[in-house]
Amino acid sequence: MAVQIFDSISIMPPKSDIYRRLGYVRESAVLKKDHIQKTDLYIEEAFEYIHLKGCALRVPAKNIEEGRTSLENGMSFTSRDLVTFLSGSSEVLIMGATAGQEIMNKINSFSQNNDLARSVVYDAAASEIVDTALTWMMNFFKRELIRLGLCLNQRRFSAGYGDFALENQRAICDVLEMKKIGVILTKEFLMVPEKSVTAISGIRAQAES
Amino acid sequence: MKILKNMIGKKIIFLDGATGTELQKKGMPQGVCPEKWCLDNQVIISAVHQEYIKSGSNLIYSCTFGANRYKLEEYGIKNVRAMNRDLVRVAKKAVGRRGFVGGDVGPTGKFIEPFGPLLFEDAVKVFKEQIAGLLEGGVDFIAIETMIDIQEARAALIAARELTDKPVFVTMTFEKDGRTLNGTDPVTALITLQSLGADAVGCNCSAGPTEMIPFIRSMYKYAKVPLIAKPNAGMPKLKNGKTIFDMTPVAFAREGKKLILAGASLVGGCCGTTPSHIQVLKKNARICKAKRPILKSLSAVSSARKHLIFKKQSKSFIVGECINPTGRKILQAELRNGKTSLIRQLAREQEVAKVDLLDINVGAPGVAEEKMIREVFNMLSISASSPLVVDSSKVEAVEKALRIYPGRALINSISGEKEKLEKLLPIAAKYGAMFILLPVAKSVPKTFKERKIVIQNIFNKAKKYGFTKEDFVVDGLVMAVSSMATAGVETIKTVRWCTNVLKVNTIAGLSNVSFGMPCRSIINSTFLSMLEKNGLSFVIANPMRLKRQFSKRAEKLILGKDKDAINFISYYSKKTALPKRAEKSMTLEKKVYRAVLDGNREEIKDLVSSLCKTGATEQDVVHKIMIPAINQVGDFFDKKQYFLPQLIASAEAMKVAFEFLEPRLKEKNIKTVKKNVVILATVKGDIHDIGKNIVSLMLKNHGFDVIDLGKDVSNDRIVSEIKKHKSPVVGLSALMTTTMVNMKDVIGEARKQKLKCRFMVGGAVITRLYAQSLGAEYSQDGVEAVRVAKKLSQ
Repeated sequence: MAVQIFDSISIMPPKSDIYRRLGYVRESAVLKKDHIQKTDLYIEEAFEYIHLKGCALRVPAKNIEEGRTSLENGMSFTSRDLVTFLSGSSEVLIMGATAGQEIMNKINSFSQNNDLARSVVYDAAASEIVDTALTWMMNFFKRELIRLGLCLNQRRFSAGYGDFALENQRAICDVLEMKKIGVILTKEFLMVPEKSVTAISGIRAQAES
Repeated sequence: MKILKNMIGKKIIFLDGATGTELQKKGMPQGVCPEKWCLDNQVIISAVHQEYIKSGSNLIYSCTFGANRYKLEEYGIKNVRAMNRDLVRVAKKAVGRRGFVGGDVGPTGKFIEPFGPLLFEDAVKVFKEQIAGLLEGGVDFIAIETMIDIQEARAALIAARELTDKPVFVTMTFEKDGRTLNGTDPVTALITLQSLGADAVGCNCSAGPTEMIPFIRSMYKYAKVPLIAKPNAGMPKLKNGKTIFDMTPVAFAREGKKLILAGASLVGGCCGTTPSHIQVLKKNARICKAKRPILKSLSAVSSARKHLIFKKQSKSFIVGECINPTGRKILQAELRNGKTSLIRQLAREQEVAKVDLLDINVGAPGVAEEKMIREVFNMLSISASSPLVVDSSKVEAVEKALRIYPGRALINSISGEKEKLEKLLPIAAKYGAMFILLPVAKSVPKTFKERKIVIQNIFNKAKKYGFTKEDFVVDGLVMAVSSMATAGVETIKTVRWCTNVLKVNTIAGLSNVSFGMPCRSIINSTFLSMLEKNGLSFVIANPMRLKRQFSKRAEKLILGKDKDAINFISYYSKKTALPKRAEKSMTLEKKVYRAVLDGNREEIKDLVSSLCKTGATEQDVVHKIMIPAINQVGDFFDKKQYFLPQLIASAEAMKVAFEFLEPRLKEKNIKTVKKNVVILATVKGDIHDIGKNIVSLMLKNHGFDVIDLGKDVSNDRIVSEIKKHKSPVVGLSALMTTTMVNMKDVIGEARKQKLKCRFMVGGAVITRLYAQSLGAEYSQDGVEAVRVAKKLSQ
């Protein structure tokens, strides 16, 4: 199957997740109305500068056992944690998303120009929003898979989790052709623009009702 | 066709259930093209159709859900039209005269502009190709289903409408949160689709019958067309890591009956449902009566994510007027250069100012309006949530905007000029748009009586296209009181008559009334208040400047009782601004303390300056007020009473105050406590430095002399800077596992060169344990970094 590109992912900003990332704890927080207004405004502003794009690929699994995940397209990953996560899957869904460069330019610019508060909210908003883009893509595939008698794992796994080394980012970005959505990888396996994410999830057959 | 049209909405109609899962049970393997497999196994698909008919389905869907060009291409199949035609023929043969066959149209799997790369017209073309095949096969109706993107649903519906008069049903798939994946809620989808000509609208898939009830209930209140519910057999559940639908036919029927009571008159099933589910549902629902749509028409507009129902309210709806190049040279230049960033900004500013609709006018000399309006509507469909008003004098531009807009728009405007009326009314009708009725014919009628005749004339013509009173809004035609003293009165009369006699909504472009006068905002706001008292429904205004004031003098002017506006002008030309209300009494010390706590960067400098003028020393301001205040902030942060933006806002307020105080301290040669140097760096290969920037700001606030080396800093440079500054404390940050190893190298090199500095480390992947393994201190956040730096400096 070919990589599916999502040129514009349309989501609502996950405000409660952004607040949580910023350290907001409902039970103890003392927030004035103007703090909330300002933070909400910054989130809205950040949303303006975020241009979510994504890409995803379904690949049949060849072998998932003994600490190694081998896929039909020739990819293979060495990670016991990933094997546990994908156990029972007949296919995997590999996906990537980015918030784009404009938001990074804004974060850096405000950070350097005496507006760190704004920069921090933008940063948290971008992180959560790009993560929500992966959830959005998973929901997109779930809907299609259900009709084919298949289902997608509820969770996802990323390079850097447990023993699934960050170095795997190279193969993931390459197979997803992340360049097409404007994402490149540094020598240290960091994605640029910074607010970019990749993940893997498992696909398996539905049980009979 | 007539029989079916007469049935829908008048009695409960039973649709079929799932086809895919039934085919799998009968041997369809995974991974095949279901449509191709059905053509190769016609006996099996015929059996599925027949089982549903036997179970009581009145309508069945052909097995053509994925039979569009893009989906079939995945299996190397190209004969789209023939495949659709043949699968319909199989279904017709199986069903015979016992039911009706609908041509099933599913999503292409691609996203359509403005939400994706597929051009809208290409999508329409792809759907037309499929629907042409379905029609050739002899379908009784078209069933567009499982849509997650309102724009794709529109493309399919427009394709169907441009090919046939047969009934077209459209169902969308809503997630648990009550929105489609693209963010459209049920009522918004209903408003858009029913105005665009769908014969029935509803929901299918994703949810079980229980979860679908509130969706149907919310739609029913605003439905002009019958509603469809085709839920799954419950919500998918995970069992031994596999998804199952385990709702029994009895439970499904019990909840399905509630769907009928909520307003669905076409009911069936989706994933996981079987002929038994339909059979029991029909048996259970036999005593139910179909709930017919309660509305004949609805005054409402929508965007892709929001709708607005025009019910009477005390304050008028605000139509933001700022996106209009008339008199705005910068906007004109932007449009000529094909840019839309200013428009995006203007839309955002107006939305922040709580506008209800956004008026969009991009007509200016040198601007290709048809191309530009399409581009702007596309852009704002994503970036703005408010419904849009297409404001153009060009018929072609209006049509371009309406065709591409994923909602129900309002046209500004349709006047009585014969040629335009004849061209615009059919376009508005085709796309189901609302319109502003501008009571202007060959000339601009100055009196209410003349306007009344034009309004009735346009309304009569609009009726022929199926428009009702709810589909338009009459413009009160506001003219300047400076050039016509009775202008205000004539508008008020027009609005009053439209509200009380004709019973239609009205709109007024507010600012025209005050043209050429001083203190325009007072005239405008008074006029607004007067119009609202007479029933005005919408106001076209700049929401950032819209005030709610009332002036007796302005009222007299508007009512034509102030000859030549002499009283108004003489009074308001003398008027000066009111003095600011005295601030509540609070000592300056407390105000500075409070400014740090509140992160008040805007006022802290003036407060500190005032405090120093009262005799307070700079040292005391720093040590007795500001430092205790920022410590208090740190304490609040530790206790989770403050969250990160508050901590940083306070730190930034401190910074502003320091920038004011430091030169004064130096000038007076006052030595503060000796500053310790801290070097900060994000290690080599790592570009994530926001955490390090927070630490830097916090340390500076606590009197540290911070040398921030930035991000992606080489090991050699960090070591050489430590040597150069003889810094006792070094802070290193890293976010990734691949870059945190550089911390070890930096610390190792410093030790090798016998540098006496001490290290603190932090970052997303760093743990206290890892820090210990490096022989470094760990700090979790900016507040802890200050504590650690103080400890290491001792």
